[in-house]
Amino acid sequence: MPNPTRRDFLKLTTTALLAASGLLGLGGLLRFLDYQTEPPRKTDFDLGPASNFPMDSRTLLPDVPAVLIHNAAGFSALSLVCTHLGCTVEQNADGFACPCHGSRYDKNGDVQRGPAAKPLRALRIELKADSTLILHTN
Amino acid sequence: MRRIIGIASAILLVTLLVAWWWTSREPKPIALTPTLTGQVEYCLTCHSDLQEISPSHPVKTFGCVICHGGERLALNADLAHSTMRGGANPSDLSVVQASCGGSNCHSGSEAQNQDHIQRVMTSIQSTYAGAIANIRYSFGAQSSLKAQLGIFAVTDKNNISLQAFDPTAETNPMIQKFGTNCLTCHINATPRTEENFNRLTGCAACHTPNIDSFPKGQIHKLTTAIPYTQCNTCHNRGNYDLRTMTFVERTDQPLPNDRLHNYYQPIAQFTKCEYTLDCVDCHTRTEAMGDGQIYSKKTDIQYIQCQTCHGTPTQLPLTKTLTDPNDIAFRMAQLNPVVDLKIGDTILVTDKGEPLWNTRVLPDGTYQLVGKATMQTFAFKPVMGSHCTQNGQDQSSAYCHECHSVQR
Repeated sequence: MPNPTRRDFLKLTTTALLAASGLLGLGGLLRFLDYQTEPPRKTDFDLGPASNFPMDSRTLLPDVPAVLIHNAAGFSALSLVCTHLGCTVEQNADGFACPCHGSRYDKNGDVQRGPAAKPLRALRIELKADSTLILHTN
Repeated sequence: MRRIIGIASAILLVTLLVAWWWTSREPKPIALTPTLTGQVEYCLTCHSDLQEISPSHPVKTFGCVICHGGERLALNADLAHSTMRGGANPSDLSVVQASCGGSNCHSGSEAQNQDHIQRVMTSIQSTYAGAIANIRYSFGAQSSLKAQLGIFAVTDKNNISLQAFDPTAETNPMIQKFGTNCLTCHINATPRTEENFNRLTGCAACHTPNIDSFPKGQIHKLTTAIPYTQCNTCHNRGNYDLRTMTFVERTDQPLPNDRLHNYYQPIAQFTKCEYTLDCVDCHTRTEAMGDGQIYSKKTDIQYIQCQTCHGTPTQLPLTKTLTDPNDIAFRMAQLNPVVDLKIGDTILVTDKGEPLWNTRVLPDGTYQLVGKATMQTFAFKPVMGSHCTQNGQDQSSAYCHECHSVQR
């Protein structure tokens, strides 16, 4: 188009505006449809090679939160969410203590002192074929 | 036609650009999914700098909305705050059941000692039933001193009820005046405006002390370490003049840290322990919050006496060795860890069995008390074995004060 006329210019501008509006509108729509107010909670945690957790170890997993126990019986895990109201319990020499309302659990997660009434929840551990551990919280 | 389409698309483009600019100005949402609710909320987008309200209510576990209400997903302040309970104070008694209640929280069972709301709603500090009954009796509106009306209608655990006190329904002008001038001290009353009365309402009237020390609007604290100055926002601030039915503020306003002069009204006799300790060091949760029953006067629920800690010439104070890990003494010490209670410790108890968990019986037979608000350690001895010649049966305040009062 060597010598665009005024009409050509207006036509091009109109087309460009329409295209830009359409793209922006489409972008907004996609953003709206894609927006997640409540992203799903992570329930599977890849803990890496099992060899990272030696025999007779208790490893805190603060991101879960949980403690991974490796003893003669194999691998097991306890949730560190207090069964009273859901605070994160802390590990101590006797077991676990809830900093919120004082519940106490022994090393196996059984209640020693209320107000919690239920033991800490046992979590499922999966040993994959490649010797990595997956922790499931659901 | 093309011109119209062009103009319309230009307007649409400008509108979209403005909308994009507008949304880009809004803060990036900070999401929190509290363990207790499992529902995301965006309150921390604006309030991330707010201090934790207490170790028992960590925001990671509770979030904000479970206590405060509000629109959890809103990023606009007005919208987010539009459905909050009790404004900035969800513990106001008008909304406390929705904010703080729940069987696992503060309206649980009496057996589990989680019936805080039921206790407070019937407490004489909330109902003001004693003062109302007294005034109505004095001016002939009721035939006995038994409480019939309270600040609000309430029924206690024994199905005893109070109707709501309505001063405008009273015919005696003095009772009407009492209703206008003298309802400023119950827990849910809007405090008087003078500096020394400044406090919040509901649970926060007691459990959110020293609100003047916080920048305005940034009070976010609950504690059981309640200093006497918080009790003083209602108590010891003056007297009601029954002739004019008005509140007369005490004129001697000592310095805030002058406990000796600040603690008691000038007319009262008192002992050293009464002003060196804080009110909550002696007075129990039942005395302060009630026991779930409606009473007509303070002395029906307030029962701590000198002998509770000191005994009498012929009797040592009551004690208890902690053997049950679920003893409420441990829970109370957990909430305000000024002492490290252990199984096997021996503490003082009241004659109703309430643990004075901040005391300890020492091996030499003397006692120790750690201040709940000051963390100061106090040593004291039993009366038995001393030169005291009191009549153990007479425990009136004036009786012990006769020998042990402090001179100012």
